[in-house]
Amino acid sequence: MSGDDLNPAAVARPVEDAQGDDRWMSQHTRFVQECKDAEPDQFEVRQDLFSPLHALNFGIAGDTTCNVLWRLQNGELENICPKVVVLWVGTNNYEHTAEQVAGGILAIAQLLTSRLPKAKIVVLGLLPRGERPNPLREKNTVVNGYLRSWLPRLGRAQLLDVSGDFVHSDGAISLQDMFDFLHLTATGYRTMAKPLSDLLLQILEETHVPGI
Amino acid sequence: MSAEDPNPAATPTPCEDIQGDGRWMSLHNRFVSDSKDKEPDVLFVGDSLVQLMHQFGIWRQLFSPLHALNFGVGGDKTQHVLWRLSNGELDNISPKVVVLWVGTNNHGETAEQICGGIMAIVQVIKNKLPHSRTLVLGILPRGKSPNPLRERNAKVNMLVQEAVSVGDHCDGTITFFCVCDTVRNVMHCAIERQSLAGNHLFH
Repeated sequence: MSGDDLNPAAVARPVEDAQGDDRWMSQHTRFVQECKDAEPDQFEVRQDLFSPLHALNFGIAGDTTCNVLWRLQNGELENICPKVVVLWVGTNNYEHTAEQVAGGILAIAQLLTSRLPKAKIVVLGLLPRGERPNPLREKNTVVNGYLRSWLPRLGRAQLLDVSGDFVHSDGAISLQDMFDFLHLTATGYRTMAKPLSDLLLQILEETHVPGI
Repeated sequence: MSAEDPNPAATPTPCEDIQGDGRWMSLHNRFVSDSKDKEPDVLFVGDSLVQLMHQFGIWRQLFSPLHALNFGVGGDKTQHVLWRLSNGELDNISPKVVVLWVGTNNHGETAEQICGGIMAIVQVIKNKLPHSRTLVLGILPRGKSPNPLRERNAKVNMLVQEAVSVGDHCDGTITFFCVCDTVRNVMHCAIERQSLAGNHLFH
């Protein structure tokens, strides 16, 4: 966990428009606008469980820790005062080691705690992936291990590991949970959303102090 | 580019496992296995737009009742679909209709090359499933505002629509269908031609 400027996973980087339709920047610009328009208590996952929590969702498919860091430093934290931030990133950091990825996630958590002094940070553990055991599953597990020990030292940040049920006794992941062995189906989301929702409700109740 | 240069979009190519978890091959093997076990009347083939259809309620509502199978893989280019269909995914099945929707991920390739890739897939389907009808869907516009990919996709659609209406494909076994405004007129012509030839989309 040495100087972050030596960790490539902690260097803020926008996504270059390699394809030609600028969709990443369109989404980022939209999120910045949502910040200006909204006054959420927290952001993340927009589903039946989460809409009543006044949640915003600033997820972009394919993002690495570098991309999320850049977005948060370039407008996506302006004008809002969420009570909780749910952070879920790292599985796309193919060029980085597990330690670097964990360092990148930590850097984002540090940015969030410094920019949003009232917010609690919930970091979701990286999920297993691929149909059968493979190096990326091992890597994601190692990342989670680092986060488990590093995050509590930050204060106001914790790890929620929801990966438990996805790998069956034979080591396989089911298409019923991840339709491409990476992205979650509705069923898969239901499995991980419930413990997250429970935790969020608990945090929001704790932070609700009448008169403040 | 001379006429001799091979078209990468029409050259069967498996997807390299760059990330390290073998997901593309896992999905392909699953589809090959499905082909052995199942008897679909309708087969959907293509990229993420096909794959994601399976995740929404509309699939169960509209397509499951047709005994449909979904062989969509996110990120696939024409050359990937071509490889998959040439390597087991069409074996042991005889669907009445194959719905093909691919082309938007062929970055770095020209509209002509992408059309060539789509037509190569059409030919493979024809060879392996001589009794099936193929429905080629037009690729959608993309990006928040007008951009070169929208132009490319519209051009692909125009080229494909022309290609399915000439020569060997005039027998009505291939239909081009697009929901895009820009090719609405072209689509009407295609449907007219189908009616004149005594063929209809779904019977």
